[in-house]
Amino acid sequence: MRSVVLPPFWSLVEAHGDELLTHARRLAGEANGEDVLQEALLRALRAYPRLRHAEHLRAWLYRITTTTAMDHHRRRAREVLTDEPPEVAAADPRHYDDAFESLIAPLPDTARTALRLRFVDDLDYAGVARALGCSTEAARQRVSTAIRTLRTQGVAA
Amino acid sequence: MTLPQPLLDRLAAAAVAEGLADAVYTRLKTPIGTLTIVQGERGVVRVGFDDDDVPALLAEVAAGLGPRVVASDAELAATRDAVAGYFEGDGNPLDLPVDLALVRSPFRRAALEELRRVAAGDVVTYGELARRIDHPRAARAVGSACATNPVPIVVPCHRVVPGSGGVGSYGGGPAIKRRLLAHEGARV
Repeated sequence: MRSVVLPPFWSLVEAHGDELLTHARRLAGEANGEDVLQEALLRALRAYPRLRHAEHLRAWLYRITTTTAMDHHRRRAREVLTDEPPEVAAADPRHYDDAFESLIAPLPDTARTALRLRFVDDLDYAGVARALGCSTEAARQRVSTAIRTLRTQGVAA
Repeated sequence: MTLPQPLLDRLAAAAVAEGLADAVYTRLKTPIGTLTIVQGERGVVRVGFDDDDVPALLAEVAAGLGPRVVASDAELAATRDAVAGYFEGDGNPLDLPVDLALVRSPFRRAALEELRRVAAGDVVTYGELARRIDHPRAARAVGSACATNPVPIVVPCHRVVPGSGGVGSYGGGPAIKRRLLAHEGARV
C-alpha cells in the first residue's frame, strides 16, 4: 500500500513547466533548453513513484533540470574529446565547452574546479577528492554547494 | 502560459513508449460537453463530465493507479475517435476496453461488468440488473454502483432506469441521461 500520496505528475508539469524551461534555457542555452527539459522531466517521471514524500517537488524538479543540463554539457564535452579526428581535437581544451564555462563563470575558483573535475573530467567523488586533496565528503559538498549556488542564481534571476 | 505543445506531446509520447505512464488522459469536446477521458494500460479507467473537478478526478486516478499521470491527445487518438464516433454516428457502439481498477467493491464491479452487456437502445431497471447478478434484493446497491461508476458513458449506467418509471438520476445530470438514451434510440 502506498503511504505517500503524490499529485498527478502532469499537474507538476503544468504548474512549473514554464519556469523550468526558463531554467533549462539559462543553463543549457536557448537552443537546447527544450531537449534538456524533456530529458529532465523523463528522468523525474522515472524516479517519481519512488519518492518517499510529496514535499519540495518544485525544488526537486529544479534539481533534476540542473543535473540534466550539467550532463548535457558533460556529454558534449566528451563528444568533442572522443569523436573528433585528431587534427581537430588538437583544439585548446578551453574551447571544449564555452557554454559550460560561461555557466560556471560567476562561481569562485574552487567551485569551478570541483565542477570541471566532476562534470567535464567525469571523475567520481573519490576522484574529485584525490584531485583536490580533500575528503570524498568534502568533494561532494563542494560540488553540491556549487550546483546549489547556480540553481539559486538561475531561479532568482 | 504553459509549455509549448510540441514539447508536451514529445514528453508524453516518450513517457508512454518507455512504459512510464500509469495513466494517460485527454479532454474531448462532445455534444454533452467536454469530457475528460483517462486510460490505463488495460483500458479506460475514468470518464469525467464537463462540470467534474478535473484536478480532483486526476488525483483520484493517481491514488488508484499510480502518480505518473500524463496528458496526450495523440496517445489516446483511437479512444478519442471511438468516443467522437459514438456521438456522431447512428448507433455506433462504444466498444472500448475498460479497466474497473478504481472500483474497490467486488459487488459494484460485478454490477458494472453485467451492465456492459446492456446494448445501446436497451434499458434495464435497477431491480432487473440486481437479479442478473444473483442479488435480486440489492436494487439499491446496484443504484450505488451506478452512481459511483468511474467510467460513465463507456460503462452505460445511463441505461439503468428506475422500475417506477422516468429516467432516474445520473452523475452528469438527468438531462444528459435523457439525451444519451434518445441518441441511442431507447424508449423510456
